[in-house]
Amino acid sequence: MSGHKDTILSVDRLTVRFDASPSLIKRIVTGAGRRTVHAVEEVDFEVTRGSTFALVGESGCGKSTIARTIAGIQPPSGGSVSFMGVDIAGFRTRHAAMPYRRNLQMIFQDPYASLNPRWRVGRIIAEPILTHRLMQRGSALDARVAELLETVGLAPGDAAKFPHQFSGGQRQRISIARALAANPAFIVCDEPTSALDVSVQAQILNLMKRLQRERGLTYLLISHNLAVVAHMADAMGVMYLGRLVEQGDAGQILARPLHPYTRLLLDTVPDPRAPKRDRARLSGEVPSPLAPPTGCAFHPRCPLANARCARERPLPLRVGAALVACHAVEEGRLPSRPSANENCLATSGDAA
Amino acid sequence: MSLLSIGRSVGNWWQGDLAYRFRRSPVAILAALVGLALLVAAMGAPVLAPYDAFDPAAANAADARLPPGVEGMFGDVYLLGTDPQGRDMLSAMLYGLRTSLVVGLASVAAAALAGVLLGLMAGYFGGVLDAFIMRAADVQLSFPAILIALLIDGVARTAMPQELHAELAVPILVAAIAASFWVQYARTVRGLVLVERGRDYVLAAKVTGVSTPRILLTHILPNVLGSVLVIATINLALAILTESTLSFLGVGLPSTQPSLGSLVRIGNEFVFSGDWWISALPGLLLVLLSLSVNIFGDWLRDALNPKLAS
Repeated sequence: MSGHKDTILSVDRLTVRFDASPSLIKRIVTGAGRRTVHAVEEVDFEVTRGSTFALVGESGCGKSTIARTIAGIQPPSGGSVSFMGVDIAGFRTRHAAMPYRRNLQMIFQDPYASLNPRWRVGRIIAEPILTHRLMQRGSALDARVAELLETVGLAPGDAAKFPHQFSGGQRQRISIARALAANPAFIVCDEPTSALDVSVQAQILNLMKRLQRERGLTYLLISHNLAVVAHMADAMGVMYLGRLVEQGDAGQILARPLHPYTRLLLDTVPDPRAPKRDRARLSGEVPSPLAPPTGCAFHPRCPLANARCARERPLPLRVGAALVACHAVEEGRLPSRPSANENCLATSGDAA
Repeated sequence: MSLLSIGRSVGNWWQGDLAYRFRRSPVAILAALVGLALLVAAMGAPVLAPYDAFDPAAANAADARLPPGVEGMFGDVYLLGTDPQGRDMLSAMLYGLRTSLVVGLASVAAAALAGVLLGLMAGYFGGVLDAFIMRAADVQLSFPAILIALLIDGVARTAMPQELHAELAVPILVAAIAASFWVQYARTVRGLVLVERGRDYVLAAKVTGVSTPRILLTHILPNVLGSVLVIATINLALAILTESTLSFLGVGLPSTQPSLGSLVRIGNEFVFSGDWWISALPGLLLVLLSLSVNIFGDWLRDALNPKLAS
């Protein structure tokens, strides 16, 4: 997967750890040691220009932390993130980081929190333009803001309104307009539709797809909704407890998942056409990232785990167009999926 | 900004939620009107006062301690009587009101400025800076405000020659009161900043590349100013009372610069001789002023944030 000349983002052995130690006094009194949250561990992936790469996984698996690291608001603890050929950890000053910040924007999950409640919409959308000195204040800027509002399906007159005068879906459109304002190449979308009504979700996703087509945008899509991923993604990565367990072509993974975790994730998607289907259950809770299990992090919940899984961490293995980190796949212990379990995503994807 | 657009934004405000609540609250209207009248009276003291309270020549020792309405030796009429130096009480009170208001407003402004700035930095940057500022605030809180003001005034009094101290009495008093009041702003602002800085709109500005001072001033500050305004209004009455207390105790302003507190102190000696007006009238004015400011502040707090409890 490396060496493509049209790779826009390359994440190499990215690790993010948080210090969750008790206070120094508490450590001395109780004798407790330092504690570290392993949010992201040695994650590798690449995103091709003009495509959508989706990161999926349960809450707390580290997918949002990756999004924030790439967006430059969370410093990595190890590894590197290289955007358009430049390592983003190498920026010494704010000034040096400005071209990267212009080209990389972010859409947030909660459209009620991501817009300053005291700013008018016009000022919100103009902020990236003014920050990067692309235009001066004046009628040309007003025209540009109006054009952006129309691009996302709002009225030019909405620039004079405040965010609270809009619905959730409209606010998310404002967020998208702000993200587009500085003409970026790449947009990090952190659960862009999970706070919206289902009917509005599809509108926002279709808007994002249209903008991608028209402007050649690249998306990093963070989601826990596999229907959204099926609708949007070209490539995808499945995360479990801070590690990528499977990545590759989205269509292939959704149709023929290999990793036991991916399979269980797909089996738990509710299928309105077969509500009583005998589905595999994903038992247990995600282990604490404070103390990840030895060997394969998934082995305590994995139906195929053996002694080696508890001892030895599996390395990514190429299978077709996918990379899978699983001993069962490597040893050929993987049972074939019964066709009844063909999930609804492969077909329902376009309707989402 | 043209006159028209100013007019329009004032009109917008009058149509707004806050103005609506204001119009519906007769108590708030009354308090605002009384406060405004007192402010106008204080600022217009040089014009409104029948005598110059700062001019020793205007005072006539023969007319000392005349009750309200009694005619003086040379035919002067003192509407509210005179003080022990023969100074017209009405004039002294108007000038005293001005001094009290100036000291109150200036100390609240200084405390708010320092407190908001320190609170913003403590909340946004966290870490050692936060710990340092907030522990300083804790130490500050462990003393009563009066004690800090007494301490600062006492030090200034010993460190400076008397004339210089008399000249700098107002700034010293302002600094002393501000030094004991900034903590409340710093704590409130820090708490609000801790909430705001993790909000997505602040992160969005960071992702875009907006500089930290700009984020603090344009994004975070406007979202915490409402609470600051409420504290400032309630603190104004408190600052005026602190000034009066200090002046009453004799560590505030010298008697050549009358403030409401020092007028009460001067009259205090003569209350038992039956000369009640020298103490009672400035005291009454002080009550009226702090009551109207306090009632307005209470209303503002409820109107801006019904969930905020004192």
